[in-house]
Amino acid sequence: MKNNIRVERAIKNITQADLADQVGVSRQTINTIESNKYVPSTVLALKIARIFGKPVEEVFILEEED
Amino acid sequence: MQKILHYVQNDNLVFLTNACVLTGILRFRITKNKMSNIFDICKVCFTFGKLNFTSMKSRFLFPYKSRFIGYILIFAYFPVMIAKKIFYHGYMDHGGHITLPDNPSLLDANHIFNVIATLVVMVGLLLVGFSKEKFEDEQIIQLRLDSLQWTMYFTFFLYMLAVIFTNSIDLVHIVGINLWMLLVFFIIRFRWVIFRLNQSLKAEKGIS
Repeated sequence: MKNNIRVERAIKNITQADLADQVGVSRQTINTIESNKYVPSTVLALKIARIFGKPVEEVFILEEED
Repeated sequence: MQKILHYVQNDNLVFLTNACVLTGILRFRITKNKMSNIFDICKVCFTFGKLNFTSMKSRFLFPYKSRFIGYILIFAYFPVMIAKKIFYHGYMDHGGHITLPDNPSLLDANHIFNVIATLVVMVGLLLVGFSKEKFEDEQIIQLRLDSLQWTMYFTFFLYMLAVIFTNSIDLVHIVGINLWMLLVFFIIRFRWVIFRLNQSLKAEKGIS
């Protein structure tokens, strides 16, 4: 699974720390999600998508091997 | 008489009696047509009374600050450990038989001081191993569970090595080591993973 969090963040002009605060996780978690080291739970994915005001599919994208 | 005593001391027999009593209870419940009772008990035992796993909140963890109390307790044990290494030469003398003195000195296994010191270090390890992180989130929970699994594999691997290389003679030692080994491995591995996590954030910052 890949994601557009970094791009979306740039569009909204918020830092990893801001996003982390808003969804209630640590900065490390946002960082590892962005670098595809950690797959968030459904709840967290929905929360992140809600911050960006987009459906989850536009932020998180399934890949071939998933 | 001695033969009976020998068998009573044998753990297998105790286990068997326990198992018999347990199955007896289970049968009793089944014949009373209350199958659900057993499952209720199992549910409570295996899921800590929680049936849905939708909430990602971590359960049964000590508060964050109790970790430092744990570290203090562990360090308080260090002098005892060193004293034991220097002054105490063990109680396994007569060909592997354990003999405990009737009038135990301070460092003997059956002296109340030694019992309490062991308990203190175990409580310390428990507090360090299972205290909350400063910022507890779903990734931390994941890493904690991963570390527990890793610890289980690693210690089991060590048991197998121990069985191979000691011909199962030193199993008493393994039990003794087991008092702290599982938790120590878990703590080291969990701390290491958390450390790596924080490092990755720092590296990221360095780039951008």
